[in-house]
Formats: sequence, structure tokens, C-alpha cells
Amino acid sequence: MRIMRVEKTLVSTNRIEQFGHRPLLVVQDKPGGTRSVAVDAVGCVPGDWVICVGSSAARDAAGAKDFPSDLTIVGIIDHWNPEG
Amino acid sequence: MEIWRVKDELVCTRRVPGLKTASLRVLQGQKGNIEVATDPVGVPVGKWVFTTLGSAARLAMPDPTVTTDLTICGIIDGWEE
Repeated sequence: MRIMRVEKTLVSTNRIEQFGHRPLLVVQDKPGGTRSVAVDAVGCVPGDWVICVGSSAARDAAGAKDFPSDLTIVGIIDHWNPEG
Repeated sequence: MEIWRVKDELVCTRRVPGLKTASLRVLQGQKGNIEVATDPVGVPVGKWVFTTLGSAARLAMPDPTVTTDLTICGIIDGWEE
């Protein structure tokens, strides 16, 4: 699992139908880092530090075995110090 | 899922049967890297999109038997970069 920070919501009107209306969020591994898109299975707000799963766990965590996600948010971290 | 910009269409007449008649796009990543993805959406050149990779890429196609490892999932509305 990867620790990521939620940057903002992602709006995509024209999407494949397998995605339904699942909320999508832009996440970053560190401030100013590479941006990725994750399916939100928890209900996060921008600024939250979250844990994300990849590969087949991402499909399961998003709700169904055939859901085509490769990155899904599975938890919000209560307290996280990015400087470590 | 990763964020990309559609750089070009890709025509590939001679292909393995597993790829079927899937539409292909050349994508450019945030660091300038180039990849090819199957496109079930029908994205015009210049749009920002997000993709899924690995086995989820096959499930994202209307026909999950297409042999792809990167599939466009949707066009991002109002992305500036």
C-alpha cells in the first residue's frame, strides 16, 4: 500500500461505463510529486493523507472483482507527519 | 490511474489477433514519457485522459479478451497544466 495525499477531485464526464459514477480523486505521493488518479472507496476530502492499494486488490476494494481500477483509496490516515 | 495527454492516433494494420480491432492512441505522460494505450472512449488528440494499467486495463475494454495493458478510462474535464 502507498501513502498518498489527496489534492483535489477529478471530473470526467466522458468515461467508460464500467466506472459508473464512482468518485475519482487526484492524489500525489508527495507535495509537487507525480499526480495519479484513484477511486475513492472511503469518502475523502482534499488534504487528507490516505493509503492506496494497487493491482487486483484495487479492483476488489473498489467494489467488484471486474471493476477496472488500478489504484483505490482504502483508508484515511488519522495523523501523518510527511517529514517523517 | 495515471494522467496523460493524447499526443496522436496510432494506425497499426498488422497486429496480433488478440489485439482485435481496438483503437490505439499515443499518450504523453507528465514527465514526457510516451506510451500506447487502447481507447474504448474515442478521444480526440490533445485531450487529457486517465488510464488504468495491468489486468484492470483488460476489464476496462468493452471486450475483456483484448490483450492490452493500458486502457483509457475517461476524458478529464477542465484539466490545466
